[in-house]
Amino acid sequence: MKTILKIYGILIVLVITSCEDVIDVEVQEAPERLTIEASLDWEKGTAGNEQTIKLSTSTPYFQEDRNSAVTGATVRVTNDSNGAVFIFADQNNGEYFNGSFVPVLNQQYTLEVVYQGETYRATETMMPVTDITDLTQSTEDGFDDEALEVNVIFTDPADEDNYYLFSFQERGDLLPVLEDLDDEFVNGNEISWWFEKEEDDDEEEFVTGDIVDIEMYGISEDYHNFIRILIEQSEGAGLFSTTPVAIRGNCVNVDNPDNYANGYFRLTQVVRQSYTFE
Amino acid sequence: MYNQRTKRLTAILILLLAVVSSAQENYTLSGTIRDSSNGESLFGASVLLQGTSIGVITNEYGFYSITAPKGNYTLLISYMGYEDISMEITLDKNQKMDIEVSETALQLDEITVTAEEPERVSLKKPEMSVSKLNIRTVKQMPVVLGETDIIKSIQLLPGVTNNGEGSAGFNIRGGAADQNLVLLDEAIIYNTSHLLGFFSVFNADAIKDIKLYKGGIPARFGGRVSSVLDIRQKDGNSKEFGLTGGVGVISSRLAAEGPLFNSNGSFLIAGRSSYAHLFLKAAGEQNSANFYDLNLKANYKLNDNNRLFLSGYFGRDVFEFGSSFNSSYGNLSGNLRWNHIFNDRLFSNASFIYSKYDYDLGITSEQFDWISSINNFNIKYDLKYYVNDRFTLDFGGSSIYYDFDPGQIRPTSETSAVNPLSLDRRKGLENGLYIDAEHKISEKLTLQYGLRYSTFNRLGGQPIKLYENGQPVVYNPTLEIYERGTEIGETDYKRSETIKSFGNFEPRAALAYQLNESSSIKAGYSRVAQYIHLLSNTTSVTPLDVWTPSGPFIEPQLSDQYAIGYFRDLNNQMFSIEVEAYYKTVKNRIDYIDGSDLIGNNTIETEILNGESRAYGLEFLFRKNEGKLTGWLAYTLSKSEQRTPGGTAGGPGINDGNWYYTPFDRTHDFSLTSAYQLSKKWTLGANMIFQTGRPVTYPNGQYEYQGLSIASYSDRNSDRLPAYHRLDLSATYRPNRKPDARWKGEWVFGIYNVYNRKNAASISFGQNVETGANEATRTAIFGIVPSVTYNFKF
Repeated sequence: MKTILKIYGILIVLVITSCEDVIDVEVQEAPERLTIEASLDWEKGTAGNEQTIKLSTSTPYFQEDRNSAVTGATVRVTNDSNGAVFIFADQNNGEYFNGSFVPVLNQQYTLEVVYQGETYRATETMMPVTDITDLTQSTEDGFDDEALEVNVIFTDPADEDNYYLFSFQERGDLLPVLEDLDDEFVNGNEISWWFEKEEDDDEEEFVTGDIVDIEMYGISEDYHNFIRILIEQSEGAGLFSTTPVAIRGNCVNVDNPDNYANGYFRLTQVVRQSYTFE
Repeated sequence: MYNQRTKRLTAILILLLAVVSSAQENYTLSGTIRDSSNGESLFGASVLLQGTSIGVITNEYGFYSITAPKGNYTLLISYMGYEDISMEITLDKNQKMDIEVSETALQLDEITVTAEEPERVSLKKPEMSVSKLNIRTVKQMPVVLGETDIIKSIQLLPGVTNNGEGSAGFNIRGGAADQNLVLLDEAIIYNTSHLLGFFSVFNADAIKDIKLYKGGIPARFGGRVSSVLDIRQKDGNSKEFGLTGGVGVISSRLAAEGPLFNSNGSFLIAGRSSYAHLFLKAAGEQNSANFYDLNLKANYKLNDNNRLFLSGYFGRDVFEFGSSFNSSYGNLSGNLRWNHIFNDRLFSNASFIYSKYDYDLGITSEQFDWISSINNFNIKYDLKYYVNDRFTLDFGGSSIYYDFDPGQIRPTSETSAVNPLSLDRRKGLENGLYIDAEHKISEKLTLQYGLRYSTFNRLGGQPIKLYENGQPVVYNPTLEIYERGTEIGETDYKRSETIKSFGNFEPRAALAYQLNESSSIKAGYSRVAQYIHLLSNTTSVTPLDVWTPSGPFIEPQLSDQYAIGYFRDLNNQMFSIEVEAYYKTVKNRIDYIDGSDLIGNNTIETEILNGESRAYGLEFLFRKNEGKLTGWLAYTLSKSEQRTPGGTAGGPGINDGNWYYTPFDRTHDFSLTSAYQLSKKWTLGANMIFQTGRPVTYPNGQYEYQGLSIASYSDRNSDRLPAYHRLDLSATYRPNRKPDARWKGEWVFGIYNVYNRKNAASISFGQNVETGANEATRTAIFGIVPSVTYNFKF
């Protein structure tokens, strides 16, 4: 639905003489903050034992060097029902690894990170995801009815609220494209979720032979609230976008609440597939 | 409480009686002032008995009534751009006199009178914070793409701004766009813009005059806390048939007007349509945008004391985005008014008004339509009683029934993945009763005081959700964020039931104290209640924003405004200076919690917090009213802030409960507009505008997440866009023509944004998809835009 507003923005740009250019802007500089990227994603059909948590710090917005890996923290995840503890070992590159994690659907877990004497804690539940039933390509869907798009076909489970996170990344592209879906308007239906690339200065439409990596995550309502705003804001604050805000994740600093961490502790089930355009 | 009110009312009545009883041995002259060439009634013409301080200004229908002791007088009538008339009258009985005045002819060495009328009684009138523009003044200003634009022209006045090109609406004294009551022949217009703010919906060929109340709103108006923009359509030429029109780059216009019923009436029909989309289509462009509108007006004089007016407006914007998406939206209004003159001192008007705003979106690719609308029916009855030469009374009432349809989803095919959905319709009834007096206490002091009592009933016919602890929004102290409350059920209200009702007394008061022949001091206070609100959490108002009525979760907005001003004429009214200072507070101004989602939301209450706003400023206006060079220079220094504490939701509130800038804050706002009569054939015009950039929110850092660089953002509205400024020029060429030629043509050449300033409509932040580096991208809408328009009159 939000795409509607985006379309208005695009329309203005296209229909009426307007121009876009990259300019220098002075921005404020916030104090450094810990970022916790604790995405315990369990790929369907695998054991899901091997999990990595990334820690880093924030940097000034236009700083080119964004390498700010955090080492020396202690990281652990607890299964809240049976008390099983999984220690994530410091790899000294900002990554913390555990090779024997036991994922259980709909199970609640707690994350605890101790960094610079302060403890960060978050609680989240492992969410299941439905299967991708088919991947197809077409041109008539999408904004541009001449451009190729890939369609992810799946059936949304009825009688429950479901939230999805999609990641699309064409092989060779630097950045993935994230999209979110709340089944509010499509509950229980067979859904065809399309992804297409628009022809502009930086991007080219899909052509035969292009390979796109697709990920579909089942996510919690709280994480959806978080990632929805994050996605919206990472697309840039245009004319008709909502006022950007500080995005608060679920990692709470129990010693010093104001010094909260960026990022999120999420537990998801994920389906990963690739599609080659014909 | 009740007793106090009764006492107050009694006091007012006694005062009234005192004034009425002193009105003996007096006679009344009344009638209508009209333009001699086309019979249009003139609003705001001054009618004065020379050598006395007895004078009035004609009302919206050109009516005047003047009461004076028996005697011989010289009656003086003046109106901007028209020849003065003076005539000897003997006032020895009540009499009627309809007077026609003629436009100042354009002759080579004659001065042209433009800008505002040199109202001779205006210094004495307590009316302040008001700007009246004649359509002739508006038409002289340089405009983008040759389209005369009323909304853009009022932005040249002090205290009036907007969010720049590509945003709808306008902001008065730091207020939001939804706080403006925009009336076209008394019908409420909900969206003032075509093509998302590029053009206004008002076709200048159909408009007679514009009056903007930035404060000191008279008691007869209510319902919006910031301003009233009162736009009146022409009645149509009652003397002869005529055509006017224009051919421009973007659009063309045609208007026809003429007498009806043996000159007992007249009509006007005006149409306008853009055609740029045709060129785009021809050029193979899949996407297009166009607009059209139609204005109608007819009036019929039943007899000397009764006249009927019928007005209508219909306008629409249509967008097409290939075959995957289309959208259209627009206003529709119609009204019937009945002027009735009870006697030479009591004028009345009854209005029956319908207006509607709706939009629809067709998302072909997803196979559904999204529609939304707001409908209202409005009955008004206004009376003006010219009690005597020192006392005029306005009183009346109005009733508005609203029907809001916030949105419906309709799948357009069996295979659509989208389920049908209807958001709850909302209904409300807004009533108002008012009395307003203009009272001349002495030669120097005039008071205006009045009271409006307004009520709003949120009507049933919909369920209202119940929330745990009565909290639709809950503060989560652990994560320090606001979240939706937990629904615990709902109450179903029958159509006959009232969900919630509100009532507000709205006192209005003003005074004018004349210091000497050419200067005066004025002060005013007004309280206004607003019962319907536009929901918009985007940086610019969009046509898709939805109006919502007050109810169990949204309180009415309530503004208190104080203003004081100094007014001075210089050099025999050649120049005038107006300086005003204002302070305005608005209670119950809503703002949106972080991450609010308004689209397709049935429970808006879970996305908002009630707050307050305040604005203050100093406005300066210097005008040159006469001569070859006319125009004005306006400067405003102001501040507009809001604060949104947690309230029932708990927690500190938005921005930790601290004051933050509203998006309408402009520290400096400077504008210069001028017209120069170069020769008989050429008129030149120029606009110069400078504004402090709009408050926005920029990133204050970034972090890596999911392989992306994610921006963290600073406090709400704590950054600013670069300053907005531009210069526009125009030249109007009127070829030689025989004095008796029917066909009168003129060419208008314009250059908008002469030095091609790339004013930022927005700046967005994101990662370059190739390098991954963060960058700021500016969107500028109009660079330099030349235009040419041909206007004609036949």
